[in-house]
Parts: sequence; structure tokens; C-alpha cells
Amino acid sequence: MSQQENFRTQPPPPLAPRPITIPTPHETVLANGLTVVVVEDKRLPLVSYRLALAVGGAYDPPTLPGLTDLLAGLLPEGTESRTSRQIADAVARMGASLSAGANSDYTIVAASALSHFSDDVLELMADVILNPSFPENEVDLARQNTKESLRQQRAQPSFLASEMVARVMFGDHPYSVVAPTPESIDRSTRDEFVKFHRQKFAPNNAVFIVVGDVKFETIVARLEALFSGWERGEKLAPNFPAPPVRTRRQAYLIDRPGSAQSNIVIANSGIVRTNPDYFPMLLMHTVLGATASSRLFMNLREEKGYTYGAYSNLDARRSAGTFRATAEVRSVVTGDSLKEFFFELDRIRNDKVSEKEIADAKSYLTGVFPVRLETQEGLIDQLVQIKMLNLPNQYLETYRDNVQAVTIEQIQRVAQEYVKPDQAALVVVGDGASVLDQIKPYCADIETFNTAGKLKASEGSAPTEVTGSWTINVDTPLGQSIPATLTIERANGILSGKISSDMGNANLGEIKLESNSFQAQTSIEMDGHAVAAEIAAQFDGETLMGTLKLRHSPPLSFRGEKAS
Amino acid sequence: MAPTIQLPPTPLEQFTLANGLRVVLSQDNVVPVVSIAVYYDVGSRNEKEGRTGFAHLFEHMMFQGSENVPKAAHFQYIFNAGGTMNGTTSTERTNYFETLPANYLPLAFWLESDRMRSLKVTQENLDNQRNAVQEEKRLRYDNQPYVNAFLRMNELIFTNQANAHSTIGSMEDLDAATIADVQEFFRIYYAPNNAVISVVGDFDKGQARELIEKYFGNIPAQQTPPPVDVSETNDVAIKNETFYDPLAPAPAFVLGWKIPARRTRDFYALSLAGSLLFDGDSSRLYQKFVKGDESVVSIEGGVDERRGPSAFYIFALPKPGEEISDIQAKIFAEIKALAKEPPSADEMEKLRNSLANDSVRGRQSTMYRAQRLAEYTLYDSQPGLFDTEVDQYLSITAQEISAAVARYVDVENRVVLDIIPASVEESETEQAASPQPPGEPNQPTSPAPQIPEVPPSEPESPRHTDVAQIKPGTPSEQPKDPAEVPQQTGSGPVL
Repeated sequence: MSQQENFRTQPPPPLAPRPITIPTPHETVLANGLTVVVVEDKRLPLVSYRLALAVGGAYDPPTLPGLTDLLAGLLPEGTESRTSRQIADAVARMGASLSAGANSDYTIVAASALSHFSDDVLELMADVILNPSFPENEVDLARQNTKESLRQQRAQPSFLASEMVARVMFGDHPYSVVAPTPESIDRSTRDEFVKFHRQKFAPNNAVFIVVGDVKFETIVARLEALFSGWERGEKLAPNFPAPPVRTRRQAYLIDRPGSAQSNIVIANSGIVRTNPDYFPMLLMHTVLGATASSRLFMNLREEKGYTYGAYSNLDARRSAGTFRATAEVRSVVTGDSLKEFFFELDRIRNDKVSEKEIADAKSYLTGVFPVRLETQEGLIDQLVQIKMLNLPNQYLETYRDNVQAVTIEQIQRVAQEYVKPDQAALVVVGDGASVLDQIKPYCADIETFNTAGKLKASEGSAPTEVTGSWTINVDTPLGQSIPATLTIERANGILSGKISSDMGNANLGEIKLESNSFQAQTSIEMDGHAVAAEIAAQFDGETLMGTLKLRHSPPLSFRGEKAS
Repeated sequence: MAPTIQLPPTPLEQFTLANGLRVVLSQDNVVPVVSIAVYYDVGSRNEKEGRTGFAHLFEHMMFQGSENVPKAAHFQYIFNAGGTMNGTTSTERTNYFETLPANYLPLAFWLESDRMRSLKVTQENLDNQRNAVQEEKRLRYDNQPYVNAFLRMNELIFTNQANAHSTIGSMEDLDAATIADVQEFFRIYYAPNNAVISVVGDFDKGQARELIEKYFGNIPAQQTPPPVDVSETNDVAIKNETFYDPLAPAPAFVLGWKIPARRTRDFYALSLAGSLLFDGDSSRLYQKFVKGDESVVSIEGGVDERRGPSAFYIFALPKPGEEISDIQAKIFAEIKALAKEPPSADEMEKLRNSLANDSVRGRQSTMYRAQRLAEYTLYDSQPGLFDTEVDQYLSITAQEISAAVARYVDVENRVVLDIIPASVEESETEQAASPQPPGEPNQPTSPAPQIPEVPPSEPESPRHTDVAQIKPGTPSEQPKDPAEVPQQTGSGPVL
């Protein structure tokens, strides 16, 4: 290498840091209690609005999980003076956007437009917030579509994992529910939406945030005019049952026969977002698993090749939280992956992180910070969280200092306090037959569930009499339900059976019955071809549920009952 | 009520190094970040028969280390500096890009120049990345419903092999790649005279120029790469086909048309016609089929923008039990209506305003600007099109939209590709007859499919940062730390 090329051998040092100007929000409270936050940003003729309401899925009536999210989605689908179509057309005509949604802690109505349309889009936004009419036909279509997407979700291992994690980690706390049920969707009638909107949508629970090409005084006057008639409601005081205290390691296996991968989640109880330990936790999480250069990724993917990605997850919400380690791994390396996970969880507790690791983590967190604030959306999302999660107003200003202040000792202290492998919930979604034995060395206490989330009958419970006729309905992924009859007979202690439907009869072979778990092979006629299929079912008294898996196709679930 | 948007022109400085590397700088000191994009003029269109998938395989190789940067250290350096990065491959080009805190600009030049001048093209790296690409193909193409059907669509529309084959390529061609092939590919296409670098954000122009000279100036130029022939006949290659998709949970179909190249008036007109037909909740096809008839689960479309002949698509996923030929006939009727009757004044206003909105909104992100500037420089030698191309779109009249639809879309010269769920036995028989089998058989234990997003025309390659990415969305379940950056759409080689 030539002499003048020596500069290439090492990465160049950074230039002098450039100052970051944190935008200054102006804040005021209207007479009815609506907080208004405005950031004047004149760079481009553009404006972004958010109404953030401190009512999320955690406030769903107990019999109506999913109500808040459904309600949010229906806001732009009709008001007292506009139809869904008129709203869509008006938004499109301005080249603007308008949308709404909810998470467990809050509901958002978002709009953005060129500043030329800042008034018009704001007026439209106020209309959908204050005067939604929840038209019957739109409620019907939304309920159909939500059931459809729920059916799709249940086929996804990641959904099954998060559902189980929420259930075991949050217990009686409402974060334990992550999705509606078909029944709760049916019960979510227009009257329920109207009632919930009237009771919970109150200005004193909300913040209106504006970022863009606006003047503070002008926009506040405009918001006064649009929202002053919005009447105060009851101030919501979260008063939720505490999540359960975990005392030992337990495994929850969701048996998804034929699954090519195991979806692993190792969860501990965590912190609320305002906990003073947040920043040490953030640094610990960054070293352990937040990015593709963290320990979990480097170990499980780069070194071992078990997975496309392994990460940790710092879930710190308004009233509870968890800390999790996750990966989707090839089924055969489920046990090997658990070994590496527990190795890394022990290591972050037992050994101090290195000087280089903490420096890299700080450099990453403080470096990515301004990129996040580059766009109006990036900034407004941060302001929403500050307000909805009760963070201090100077949060953005002090963020980098808070990151820099964390020490190696603090990282170890929070690791020891919150990463507790001996008390962890270990959730695995995967092919039970091939992964159960791989889990056993890491946890003796294993409960097995089916994909509907029901506990599989443990050994020793009364076996169901499986012989006879069972009426079943096989769900296809697009919502068809194919009726069929499953008939099982026993002669001289040997089981035989068949499955009959409009598509014909197919005899069952290789029948296995263990406790109440039933498995058999068959062959089904499809368009003149015989296709190999595997049927698996779990009997429970007079009902059964299971899966029908055609060769080379995803499993179809079915449920049914004993024919009278 | 259409606004006239007066935006200050994007500051631009354009120059070419002695070795032919084209450089665009756009200094904007508002936020202390900087985005760098390096575009190489090589995509699947440059690949010869028997060597498909090379450009994309090479994209992976670019993260395998160079003289002074160890294997896989590229993204470690970027992350540890607080940056984000990725790379993608399309028919037209291969790009690499990163956003960093402004003071790390020299790091980006060091990393990008080292691999441009001294990439480690070794047998070990090649084998390793060939496996990675084949895993990627299994995971993201062969194991997904509808995606391979979409790749097949390009083979039905285009007659020229350069246009018709996919960026992911075939397993056989990837297997056939020798170390000599790959070294030669690097020498010809990854030369400074075949590349553009753009830098947008908070930096000093003079200093950036000096640094670029220092890091890139003495990388030797190479001979000009061989010319590409992307010419096409007017007719589509094959008009009707049935694709047996072992992973498809339900029947679906794709319609496809061959349309003129980007930056022609017809292309602009057809792109606007596409917006009217399938963009958003107010679009004609959404209102007709999703809301009105309630006959489809989703209907979407897209325009594949290329320097040569391009493509126009519509994808529909009917509800169970709906008659597919009925839905197709009704779509053709909607197209005919647009060909016969120019869009209304309201619709033209909607088009103008969403063009203006997208053009302003995209400017917020330094990465979006860096990518578009590099693209216009590479394709057109005119980075200024970043400011002015929108005027071309705005000048299209309602009559021109109808005329272009009548000429290119409301025609029998189109492809109808029916997708039928099938067991793998059937699909193997069927595919044996097709000129290019779309891939390996699916994995026997695939996850249950979802209703798909419309498969992108080239699933590998988002053309540039999508404006939609920086539009507001619904809140995510978990609070985001300020340090969490939005996920890139599409896919990179490594993450």
C-alpha cells in the first residue's frame, strides 16, 4: 500500500459534533381542558396534526375487548354530516391524509396536508372526532373485516406468541388481552360505539398536537373555535389490577403441528415508562438485544446461524411492562437456541458490560436520535408519547444527557433486578412433537396449549370416548367453512375411521390416540388428484378442535362436536 | 382551490471526478444528519442469459469486507455511529445508502470507497452469500403465496429476456456463478465511472468535496460497460396463463400491460390513470369492488417505472365464491370508462394535490432526497429533475390520461394471469411446460398465508424511500424510544 494511502487502514475519526436544535413546543390548555401543543416548523408548506386521547384498549369494557380500536377505525367512516365516501373524497381532493387507530394506552386521530389546506383538513378532522355517526353499514363491514383479519392473525405464530405472553405476564391487568374475539366483535354494536364515544371521548383526557407551517396564536384560536363546544367528561384515573408476581420459571408451549419454526419468547416483568430505571434499562437492552449489532443477534444469528434475527424487547407502557428476548428459529435448534438465550441472559446479569459496549450503545442511541426528529411525523410521534405516557416536557432536550449518564454499574444493577431467567415465562409456538423434548432441559414445568389458546388435557384426566360421529367445520383462510363428518370406530381394540364431506369420503390410516390427542393420515381428492393429508385433533368431552393439513399447504383449523 | 406551491429550489452542486465518478451534493443544515447514497448503473437488465441474479448476488457481496473493512463490519460501523443503512437491487440499478449523525460523514466515505476499490471477491464469500441469497429466495419468494406468480407476470409481458427475468434470478444460474464471473462483474460494473454518489444534509460543501476527492479520487476507471438492449416488441409475450400456486390460500389474478418508458408523456398519463384507479380509499376500483360490490378482499395496482419499456399491473383477491371472470370483466369496463370519458375536474384536482403533497412531504427526509438525486443523476444526468419532474406530471391533461388509457390499457394486448391454489404435484407438472420455472417447490411446512400485500413488481427492490412511509399511521402497540428509527420497507441484504 502506498504511503499516502495510510488513511485507509483505520476508520476516520468523526468531525466536530454539530449542534442539535431541539424544537420548542408551545403549550396551552383550552377552557374545556383540551391541552394544545404546537411546534412552529416553517421549513416546508406542510402541517401535521394529532389528537391523542388517553383512552386505549386497556379501557375496553371487559366484555368488549377490541372496542376502542374498532371505534377508532370507524371514526372516518361517517359523521352526522358526511358519508364515508364524502370523507375519503374530501381527503383525497386535498392530497391529504386522515386516519385513526388505538393501542392499549391511547387513541390517535392523525391528519396531515399541505399548509394551503391546513384549515380544511382540520375542520374535517374535528368533525370525525366530535360527530362520528357509526353508520350501520360501515359498522357491519368493519366487523366482517375485523373477524377476517382475526382469522388471519390466528394463523400467525407471532400473534399466538404475543397473545400467550400477554395472558401469562399481565394476568388480571387489561394488557393481558391483545385482540377481540369473534363473540366480542358481534357484541360491538352501533349502540356500544355511540355510548363509549359519548362517555370516554372527553377533551380533558386529550392533547391536540400540531407540527408545521402554522402560527401558534392562529392555530390556537382555530382550535378554540372548532373544539370549544366539546364538553368535559370524567377524568380517567387508571386503576388496574397489578400484573401477577412471578416466582418460578414456567414454559407455555403452543402446539402448532407442522410449524417449520419455533417462535421463542422469554419474558420477565418490566417497568412502566416513567420508571427512573428507564434509561439504564434502555442501555442494557441496547447492549443485549436492541439492534443487529447487539449480543443476541451476534450470537444466535451471526455466530450460530439459528435464526434471521434475535432481539430483546423493552416494553414499558403507561401502567405495566415486560422485558423480553425473542427469536424465530428453525425447529431443530429450539433447544440450542434456548441454551444461547439463557447464556446471554445470565451473562448480562453476572458480568459487567465492557467499556466499548456501553460506549457503542450510547453512540448508537444519541446518534439515531436526530434522525428520528427529521420529519414532522417523527417529531409529532415523540410529542404524542411524551403527553400520553406522562413523560417530562423537557424529555427530548434531556434525552441524550440521560443516555450519557448511565454507568456500567447501573446496567448490571437493572439486569439483576429485571432480567430473571429463574422467574421467566418461556413461551414457545412450534411443532409440539419435535420441540417438547428440546424445551424440557430448560424447564420442567411445561403447559401445552392448542392454537386456540386452550390448555391441552393433561395426562390422567378422563379420556373422551372418541368413537362415534363428529360434526366438524373446517375453516379456510379466506373465511369459508367447509362442513364435514369425522367418524371413528373401534373393533377389537383397533381404531378405524373416515372423513366425509361434499368432496367425498376418505378413509383414515395410521391412527394414533394418546390421552385425548388424535392423529391420523388420509388422502383427499382435489380436482381429480389424491393429496396426502394429516389430521390432528384434541377431544374435550363433547367437543373437539384440530387441524387438517394437506401436503404442501398450510394447516386448516377445524372445530366440531359429537353428532347426536 | 389547487394551491400553487412555491418551494425554494433544492440546492445542488454537481461535479465529476477525473475517474468518472458523478457526485451530487445538497447542503441543508437544518437537522444535524447526513444521508449518502451510492448508485451503480447495474441491475437485472444487465444480466445475460444463464447469469440471472448476478446483480443482486453482488449486492450481498458488497457487505463481505474489503481491504480495510472486515467481513460484516460495515453495518457494525454504521450502527455504532448511530446510523442506519441498507442496499437494494432493481432491474435498473443497485444502490447502497446510509444516514448518519452529520459528523460521521468521513466514515461513510471511508466505507463506501473501500468496497468500491478493493472488495474481497473470494470463493469463500461467494459460497457463503450464494447460500444466503438462496435462503432469501426460499424465504421471501418460494415460500410466499402469489410472489412467484408476480415474477411470472414479467415473463408474460416482456419479450426481451433483459426485461423479463427477475432480479432474484434462478437457482441454477446462481449455482453456476464462478469466482471469475463475479470478479469480472465487479471490475466492469462497480467502477467509479459507472456510479453516482449523492450526499444530502448537514455538511460543508467544500469539506465534503475534499473528502470525496481524497477517498474516491484515485480509484481507477474501467472501460465503459457493454450497452444494454431493452427494446421490446409492441405485443406482450403471452396473453393468458394459469399459475398453479401451492401456497395460495385462494384464487387471485393479476392483469398486466406493457407501457412506454419513464419520462414520456404517456408514462406520466398512465401513472396518473393508475392513481385514479387504485390509489387509496377514494380510488375507483376500491370504491367499486371493496366498498360497493364487496366482491374482493383487496384490489391494488402499480406502475413499474423503468428506463425502457415499463409495466402497469392490477392485482385482485376475490372473496370466496365470487366469479372471477365477472370481476375481471367489470375491471375492464372500468378501464374502458376511463378511456372513453376523461377524468372529472374533481379527480384532476385530487391528482394535482396529491402530487404536490407527496413532492413536499418527501423533502423532509434527507435519505429520500439523496436517493432521488442519485437516481436522476444516474438515469438522466439531471439531478434538477428532483424539483422539476413534478411539473411534467402537473401538465398532463384529463384528455391525455384518457387517450393514454385507450391506447395502452383498454386494449386486447394485455396479460391475464389467473392464480389457482394447487398442490405441489400439479404445479410441478404445470411449470415444467413454462419457459422459466418460477422457482423451487415450496417448503412443505410453510406458515399459513395471510392476505398478501400486493406483490411489488420486483419484490426485491423498493425504487426509493416510499413517501407513504413518512405519512402518519396508527400508533404502534409499544411506545417508541426516540432512538428507534422507522423500519425500511423492502429488503436489504443483511437485515
